Amino acid sequence: MDNGTANMNRIRNFSIIAHVDHGKSTLADRLIEMTHTVESRNMKAQILDTLDLERERGITIKLVPVRMNYTAPDGEKYILNLIDTPGHVDFSYEVSRSLAACEGAVLVVDAAQGVEAQTVANAYLAVEQNLDLIPVFNKIDLPSAQPERIAKEVGEVIGIDASNAVLASAKDGVGVDEILERIVSDIRPPVGDPDAPLRALVFDSVYDNYKGVISYVRVVDGELRVRKGVSFMATGEVFEVEEVGVFTPSMRPVDRLGPGEVGYVVAGIKSLADAGVGDTITDSPRPAPSPLPGYRRVKPVVFCGFFPIEREEINSLREALEKLQINDSAITFEPESSTALGFGFRCGFLGLLHMEIAKERLYREFGVELVATAPNVIYQVKLTDGDTIEARRPSDFPSDVSRQEEVLEPYIKITIFLPDSYVGACIQLCQERRGTYAGMDYITPERVRLTYDLPLSEFIMDFHDRLKSVTRGYASLDYEHIGYRPSDLVKVDILIQDEPVDAFSFICHRDAAYHRGHAVAAKLKELIPRQLFEVPIQAAIGKKVIVRVNVKALRKDVLAKCYGGDITRKRKLLEKQKEGKKRMKQVGRVLIPQEAFMAFMEVSGDDGR
Amino acid sequence: MTAGSVYIHVPFCESKCPYCAFKSAPKGDGDEELYVESVRREISRRSSEIGPIDTLYVGGGTPTALSVGSWRELVNVLESSLSFLDGAEVTVEANPNTLSAEHIRLWGEWRVNRVSVGVQSFSDDELSFLGRLHTALQAEEAVVMCEEAGFCVSLDLMFGLPGASIRDWARSLRRAVGLRPRHISVYQLTIEPGTPFYERKFDLPEGYWQYRYAQWRLPKEGFFQYEISAFASPGYECGHNMNYWADGEYVGIGPAAWSFTNGARRANAASLAEYARMTERGGDAFVFEERIEGERAARQAAVLALRTKKGIDWSVFRSRYGDAFSDAIMRGLAKFPGELITCDERGAALSKKGMRVGDAIWSDII
Repeated sequence: MDNGTANMNRIRNFSIIAHVDHGKSTLADRLIEMTHTVESRNMKAQILDTLDLERERGITIKLVPVRMNYTAPDGEKYILNLIDTPGHVDFSYEVSRSLAACEGAVLVVDAAQGVEAQTVANAYLAVEQNLDLIPVFNKIDLPSAQPERIAKEVGEVIGIDASNAVLASAKDGVGVDEILERIVSDIRPPVGDPDAPLRALVFDSVYDNYKGVISYVRVVDGELRVRKGVSFMATGEVFEVEEVGVFTPSMRPVDRLGPGEVGYVVAGIKSLADAGVGDTITDSPRPAPSPLPGYRRVKPVVFCGFFPIEREEINSLREALEKLQINDSAITFEPESSTALGFGFRCGFLGLLHMEIAKERLYREFGVELVATAPNVIYQVKLTDGDTIEARRPSDFPSDVSRQEEVLEPYIKITIFLPDSYVGACIQLCQERRGTYAGMDYITPERVRLTYDLPLSEFIMDFHDRLKSVTRGYASLDYEHIGYRPSDLVKVDILIQDEPVDAFSFICHRDAAYHRGHAVAAKLKELIPRQLFEVPIQAAIGKKVIVRVNVKALRKDVLAKCYGGDITRKRKLLEKQKEGKKRMKQVGRVLIPQEAFMAFMEVSGDDGR
Repeated sequence: MTAGSVYIHVPFCESKCPYCAFKSAPKGDGDEELYVESVRREISRRSSEIGPIDTLYVGGGTPTALSVGSWRELVNVLESSLSFLDGAEVTVEANPNTLSAEHIRLWGEWRVNRVSVGVQSFSDDELSFLGRLHTALQAEEAVVMCEEAGFCVSLDLMFGLPGASIRDWARSLRRAVGLRPRHISVYQLTIEPGTPFYERKFDLPEGYWQYRYAQWRLPKEGFFQYEISAFASPGYECGHNMNYWADGEYVGIGPAAWSFTNGARRANAASLAEYARMTERGGDAFVFEERIEGERAARQAAVLALRTKKGIDWSVFRSRYGDAFSDAIMRGLAKFPGELITCDERGAALSKKGMRVGDAIWSDII
């Protein structure tokens, strides 16, 4: 057990940053292995990807810290705290959180593929935080590896000197020793005052059923000790520390954490609101004069409704969302009610992947099955009376179209790195998605950087997947928000048996309204089973119907004899049919299967162009 | 309590029809005698359940597969162990293939007043597809014979066969009507698990238009629909079946027969051998029993009643199942469109159109 505050000069806090698939997780595994942090018999691939989902999808979502004991060639012993970072574009906010707790970063670049969009974005985040950077060219064992070309690319595109980059193959363990040495030599040790009032940055938190909130912290000044009274500076709430510890990577209690150290704190906290990520923990009798800068907070940009499949499960869903939020502070949710789906929550996410993962985690970790409505962005609706509404869902739009003066939608600037042979296809995709060309330059004779201004709503509808398919996976992208712009947008309502079903309404550009309305109506026609009466499905803008299809009335039926012996059998058959109906949502008199609500999401992105 | 409705199951068939899920088996030597003797024992054991007979129905299987000699024995058993009310309805099912003049004479001398002829179709192709061993002409002859003997005759016709056209169906109905029976049952071919048709896994066509045509055509000929699959001249409805749909009690005798008495539905052993063994020891032949009570019983009764044109009479229904369940069922029915069902304070009944989609309505209220 560590029993004292470590010497700050012997601590290094760092992250590994990379574009997705450039080998970050494999390198982390190697570092853990070479420092004997985890016994080799307990090693499994991608040890830091703790969520099942992460291993399945091969991406890192949650950041996980690990403390490694490293003995340098000169015999000096060091503590290396690795704070892992996620690679997907939706999760760049987690990267900045990790970086806020570090003094340095290992920048991993694939020696064959070179600089990709996330390489640039993450490197810039590290530069913003004033971190010491160690460039590493990974996969040097590949025949197509071109370290000289990549070094030039890193210099030209990012503006970082990579002439001294470590040439490594994390897979084979090549260069890992050198990386460890460079972490000690190139990254500065933390600085802090052990005698000053406590200041510890909360860079993440998880919820444990027994311990409550577990806050991940980086101590800057002072000391965290068991039974010490501490407070969170944003809320002023006071708690007594019950346990402090370090990550090995499993949690191991220690007596105290001093300046420069990374670990966790348990203080009997039950609610996220009392222990916000980004907050500063300080001494309660002797608070620090000012909190740590924290990091850039991000706002959710994609919203959708989550509704429990069984109406009675609304409270389980609420509890699950609360716990998920402790774990993933970027999620927001507020109650909402839909005439079609009953009570649920309007949830905000950083992107579509983030939303899918949240939905998946709610199911796997909390056993909550839900229906998600189509995602949308926040629109600004200017009214004729001068007011502006912030519309987070189609039903926020005024029902009277004539009150609507102008609609603005959020735009992003999207940067795409790709081989020049796919430029044509990529430009076509961006144009189809209502993009405005912003620029193009050649990084190398074969590789192009393309920038477009794109409505965010077009981006969240499977843009990433489409980009991958038109470029055969060779493109990478990054984006930034560039504010609101006016667009000719309309709300399309879907009416089933003349009743608008709010869960199916969507916002789209006027030119696409017919195609999308038709696609949605056709899909619903396919999925809604025949009922006892004809069911018209219409798509309408305001009062104007633009599409109409009918689900014909039920005609197929079994008109069997039913005599003495049949009665029991017949009843069982009917009871079975009734069970089937229970799994549908009743909207007015019409039964709509769950699949319709889910399939709607897929369809509303595909406008048949 | 005693039941005035008795069903006698005759478990023999000349051959098994590939669509039929009712219990039957080929006869072995001595099976007929064994069967009649076992029936005698079962009736004698259950005499306390059986009251004076109001309706008696001999079905199968194929009652006409039983030889005239065995029939005579069966009649003796029934006459000596049952007492019949005046005007009791006594029905026998007949297969055109095995029906003989001797059967008819015997029935006429006894107290049979209805014969239900299993015609199924007036197309020889369809009959052969259905595995029936008779032709359309034989079916017509059987009907005429029964009519001449003075029985009230009912025809069974099947629709929804693969490849059938509306013309074929119209022709079958026309020939049925032309025979001037008193009662016509039309029902859709269904594929039951455990039948050869089930194994063959073919797709059935929609039977909707054929059913609709029957609903339009038969009343013009004086046959009024009084139940989902039954049409009759006024006064010739089948009382025995009406009792089933009114959730009335009945005693089933013979292998695989079902009984409903004192709130319990019970089934006899299906094989003749097993049935004979159980009755020989002087015991019951029951191998299955279920008791449906409370709301489930009420819902099942509502479904049965809604098979009939008369439907549910709430005053009767309430006195039998109570206000709470009656109200719940009434609320469930009220949400269906008026063109499918009329539901008011007095009663609830399906319209013609509602009968076409009965299953969908029942599966909602069951």
